[in-house]
Amino acid sequence: MDVLLNEEEQMLKNLAREFLEKECPPEMARAMEADDLGYPPALWKKLADLGWLGLALPEAYGGQGLPLAYLGLIFEELGRAIAPVPFHSTMMAALTIAKDGSEQQKKEVLPAVARGDMVLTWALLETDPRLLPETVHAQATPQGNGYVISGTKMFVDNFNAAQKFLVACRTAPVSGDKSPVTPLYERGGLSSPPLQRGVGGISAQGSEAGLSLFLVDTNLPGISHTPLGTMVKDKQSRVTFDRVAVPASSLVGRLHQGWPVIEGMLDRGTILLCAQMLGATRKDAEMGIDYAKNRVAFGRPIGAFQSIQHLCADMIVWVDGVQLLTYEALWRMDQGLPASIEISQAKAFANDKCEAVVRSSQVIHGGIGFMAEFNLNLWFRRVSSWTMRMGTSFEHRARIARALLDQPGRVRLGESMYDLAPSG
Amino acid sequence: MDFGFTPRQEALKQEVRQFIAENVSPEVLAEAAKGWEEGRGPRTRELLKKIADRGWVGISWPKEYGGQGGSRIDQYLVEEEFARVGIGVGGAGSGAPAILAAGTEEQKQYFLPRIIRGEIVFGLGFTEPQAGADLASLQCRAVRDGDEYVVNGQKMFTSSAHFATHLYLMARTDPEAPKHKGISIFLIPMDTPGITVRPLWTIQSNPTAPLGTTYGQARTNEVFLEDVHVPASCILGEENMGWYVGAMGLNLDRVGASRYLLSVSRDEDIINWVKENDFQGFTPAQDPAVRDRLAELWIEAQVCRLMTLRSMSLVEHGGKFTYEGSAEKVFSPEHGVRTTETITQVLGPYAQLMNGSPEAIEDGIFAHNVLGAFQSGINHGSVQVMRDQVARRGLGMPRS
Repeated sequence: MDVLLNEEEQMLKNLAREFLEKECPPEMARAMEADDLGYPPALWKKLADLGWLGLALPEAYGGQGLPLAYLGLIFEELGRAIAPVPFHSTMMAALTIAKDGSEQQKKEVLPAVARGDMVLTWALLETDPRLLPETVHAQATPQGNGYVISGTKMFVDNFNAAQKFLVACRTAPVSGDKSPVTPLYERGGLSSPPLQRGVGGISAQGSEAGLSLFLVDTNLPGISHTPLGTMVKDKQSRVTFDRVAVPASSLVGRLHQGWPVIEGMLDRGTILLCAQMLGATRKDAEMGIDYAKNRVAFGRPIGAFQSIQHLCADMIVWVDGVQLLTYEALWRMDQGLPASIEISQAKAFANDKCEAVVRSSQVIHGGIGFMAEFNLNLWFRRVSSWTMRMGTSFEHRARIARALLDQPGRVRLGESMYDLAPSG
Repeated sequence: MDFGFTPRQEALKQEVRQFIAENVSPEVLAEAAKGWEEGRGPRTRELLKKIADRGWVGISWPKEYGGQGGSRIDQYLVEEEFARVGIGVGGAGSGAPAILAAGTEEQKQYFLPRIIRGEIVFGLGFTEPQAGADLASLQCRAVRDGDEYVVNGQKMFTSSAHFATHLYLMARTDPEAPKHKGISIFLIPMDTPGITVRPLWTIQSNPTAPLGTTYGQARTNEVFLEDVHVPASCILGEENMGWYVGAMGLNLDRVGASRYLLSVSRDEDIINWVKENDFQGFTPAQDPAVRDRLAELWIEAQVCRLMTLRSMSLVEHGGKFTYEGSAEKVFSPEHGVRTTETITQVLGPYAQLMNGSPEAIEDGIFAHNVLGAFQSGINHGSVQVMRDQVARRGLGMPRS
């Protein structure tokens, strides 16, 4: 038990910070908001040269095979620097291919990602924005030696920059009775088999969801996209599939068994986003605290007023909380332990507290923080938008409530929540 | 980062649980629950001695003073298991850490082994009627007179005074110096002539709290010191350095298993209660608003746990807290209050029923907690003072 970073972890973090402070000033994030591609290819190439893009990918495919926690530390620093790179969407897809892809898919994608020659993304959400299997209506129909995909996907990150993406499609109707499908987040984390026993007979295969995941080229005929106008001016798209033919080899994992694969992807994506939010929020808090030390009002720095000091104290306490929850989830994932509850803990807390912290920092800055040309808003808008993605607080708390309340056995802090002991 | 315990530590946990199952009877617990009113009874003393004989008290203290020279994490694990059944072990309190840090060799040899054996219990003589949060403005005087000090003054909220063997006293030794620099700490036997203890009864004294209440202190005390003559060797650390000696002990006292469990036990209790109970078909555990709120509190409780483990990790590294102990002392007590108050809204009018009342839930512990929970945000440095410390020490914010 040692929740602090060890020497190697701290060194990696320091190196990442030094590099990004030099190579990725906030002006870069600002410039990319007006850029069509949305990221600087030269910086992307440098990240590849540093080994970051292959950091957590298998050594056999050009990666370094390092723990996910190390990648989390990189995300923390990328968040701190609000680096405008398509790192998150690329890693979500690449890590999923590394875990669940075919040999051919791994060979085709992973070395190219590690070299910085391929940007990836993923497409799951449709009209209903919840991260649930029943919200997926896009259809993949068998045809000839492959499938034909039709449907519309929302909030596809970096679609304009990506060469390939993972697309979740319905290949079979939702099985089971006619009653409405219980949100799977509420069922308590399908990615963690022990819990499934605890919450009452959820199929370990997830085949009842009837979903399949495909690795698709973004430039195939029949795919079109419309950019969405976000508060961050980042690149998200609505993507439409009009009878898009894909080969059978594009299937990732097994047919109709896509949901556990997708859940793994979402879990990794969620915790890496937490790490990114953590880094950005801590930096934002530091800017607020520095401003309070220097801004003079009523004849003294406003940071000498207790009302401001206590606001700042809470900001740091909350950011520390996000950090501890995030690190614990990452550590568990690297140990091969179930972590869906810890991931949800981190994201729900981060959603609420990171938003509160960046809002407090805006309050401390007063009117100047509201000005477009003042840099603080670059962090504020990003953190705020990240709280809205990869699961809302309500979704994540519903998953925790399910684990807490809907399986027999008594809860105890510090003990596993995935397989509660019988009552008594 | 490493969020797991070693197999040896897991085995230690099991060993302690086994010991508790075999040795902590309902009779002992009932007696221990009355400890605040009546002091330690014979069963409690016997149990504490058995625990000490197993080597489970002061695990991280040096061997030459009766400790095990072991890890602070081990000590935490043992303390948590006992704190969960309402038994405080581990020489908890400010005294021992301060003696370890600032005591003379003679003081360490005398006090520490006796603290481990449960023979010495300190009463904390810090607060005064006019010096609470602003402790450094205390007025109790200790005047050097040859080989002695003569102490005069009044102390408040010395909760253990009626069963303590010694007073861990802060007194002013230099009234001319700036207020933080004229204070010393003394370790004074309670039976020294001139010391009078008077009870102060809290809002939890009628009825007194039942077993299992997290916040259930029925009694505290005021202590009067009139011409109390003590040998000069009673001083802990250098004369006029008492503020800093005391702060060391307090910092360590603010973190650890008992403080953590004080803040989070209610989370487990209400969740386990709603899982097993309903009101004639109304099941709070199925109410979406209740579910969302309990999940939110559970996440906060995890943060409390992790902040405690962070403090333990820092101690284990031999490091000092800059603000981390204070951060924990802000977040955890306020969390405990949020949970306590949420419970009142989950149980509604049932939450007002005290022990002894017909229809009381869990013998009224939730009602008792409402009366006492906020107390944890006040004692040992209020959450407001803790926020000052986070801001000033941790973030370097200006005083003026």
